[in-house]
Amino acid sequence: MKTISLVGAASYLPARIVDNAFFQDSVEERTHVMFQGVTQRHHVAPDELAHEMIVQAARKLAVRLNLNLTKDVDILMTNVTTPDQPFTGCGADVGKALGCRPDWIIDVHNGGCVSFISMIAHAQALMTCHGAKTALLCNVQNAAGRLFAQEETRKLKQARIPGDGCGVAYLVASSEAPVKAVVQRNYCEYAGDMSVIRADGTKWWEPSTACTFVDFNETKIAQVMGRANRIVPEVIREACRRAELPTNEIGTLITNQPNRLFLRNWREALQVPRERHVSTFERHGNLFGAALPMCLEEAIDSGQLKNDSHLVLGGFAHAGDFAAAAVVHWKPTVR
Amino acid sequence: MKPDLADIDRLPGVHRIENCSKEQMTSLAMEMTHAVYPHDEVYGQYCPIQDYINCPPEKAFEYLADVYTLEEWTYSTRDFKPVSDDGLFVGLDRLGSTTKIYVRVVVNREAMTVDFHCSWDQGEHLWMIYLMRVVPAELVLGKPGCVVLWTNCRHPNYDRNPYPETAPAGRKIWVGDMWPFFYAGHKIELDNLKAILEYRHANRLPMTIGGPK
Repeated sequence: MKTISLVGAASYLPARIVDNAFFQDSVEERTHVMFQGVTQRHHVAPDELAHEMIVQAARKLAVRLNLNLTKDVDILMTNVTTPDQPFTGCGADVGKALGCRPDWIIDVHNGGCVSFISMIAHAQALMTCHGAKTALLCNVQNAAGRLFAQEETRKLKQARIPGDGCGVAYLVASSEAPVKAVVQRNYCEYAGDMSVIRADGTKWWEPSTACTFVDFNETKIAQVMGRANRIVPEVIREACRRAELPTNEIGTLITNQPNRLFLRNWREALQVPRERHVSTFERHGNLFGAALPMCLEEAIDSGQLKNDSHLVLGGFAHAGDFAAAAVVHWKPTVR
Repeated sequence: MKPDLADIDRLPGVHRIENCSKEQMTSLAMEMTHAVYPHDEVYGQYCPIQDYINCPPEKAFEYLADVYTLEEWTYSTRDFKPVSDDGLFVGLDRLGSTTKIYVRVVVNREAMTVDFHCSWDQGEHLWMIYLMRVVPAELVLGKPGCVVLWTNCRHPNYDRNPYPETAPAGRKIWVGDMWPFFYAGHKIELDNLKAILEYRHANRLPMTIGGPK
């Protein structure tokens, strides 16, 4: 595989900040550990489109990295939790708005909360086999404002967890901040264990005014927690092994942000001290796939991610049907 | 015929001082000793837990051997009644709302073992087996009281209900779906057991409730 580098990230947050009072904020929600720890989150506006969020974040990234987006994007990849349109992804809309014409536009609809890592793997494959030099990876989480703010849905305990945001990152075919390992694991036996349903049982394409939510119960919590405790440390350890990085030398750990306990358990399992694990959960809730690039931006901006240290990305998707991890030697050159 | 010890020393995975030096043993032990162990590695296939209880072992044994005390120290099993006169009981496991739980208590007074042979929904095949043993703390910890050991093994039926036709209509959960929480659930129940036994013993109260309500 060709050596590729992760060189920068940027984010966009919708303007609307929603605090806990917006939801059913009873004792039950406040005391159940599964639903604790978020104090606020952002929600997309009703008419805010996924590609508009990406464009905002991409323009910020272009300023930071001194990019000319009209020509510096060979590969454009998007992952959007709640797509704008049923038939197509928004990659071409992003290209149109940015005035670029990438050789490759790929809108991925799998990989969930760690789709960012699978997009790195896709980009590396395309750079290796087809000579692409640059890639813009874009993750949008917009399910909070679109689904979990619905009148009936927001009364459910689960509604307080998701938060919206967009994270983008830039990859180049070079060795300046090399991706040392990427590991992806599919657990198809767990496919379908997380489903988004309507209260009246209709499918999303059928006419209905019923609210939408994630089908969720106490048994599922047990199953998902068991899997997450197992598959995330495993895939991260494997990525570290391939990168020849002892886990006690992880400089910065960035995982998806599902809840406080999963974050605690992963840190404990990998013995990564809290100060090396980036968390935006309290302020932004569960950012789904956008968490990785958004946490990355935060780690860069805050100075938490030190030059010449090892950045480890990892996490799992849905109810555990996919887990992935990557190791990056972070030493980007000033552009 | 006497077994040949040289044979067993050749078996892969057998380490005895005859085939493994003390240095090799130390290095093996170091390799196997981690700072942390993944939950799944410790509790994935077996769920062993244990605790010290400040209550005489005989009293703890009598308490556990009485099927009706399950209604006190377990989180959700209630309302036990005899099904037959051969020791089979049925109760409700409120974890599964209207789910029936069948139980037969198999004890060995000398060894102070109390094994609960249970099953959800049907009483023909009691495959959920809770193995418990009371050990005098005087022997193992050098103090009064007892130690309770409790182990469950992950029978394949935990992963797939073999008798779905016996489940109450509309029930979505299966007992085995909760396996990832067995350590936590059983620890909470062992804490209940400890609190109840220590309270009754310290206050010289009768230990058991003595039969169905």
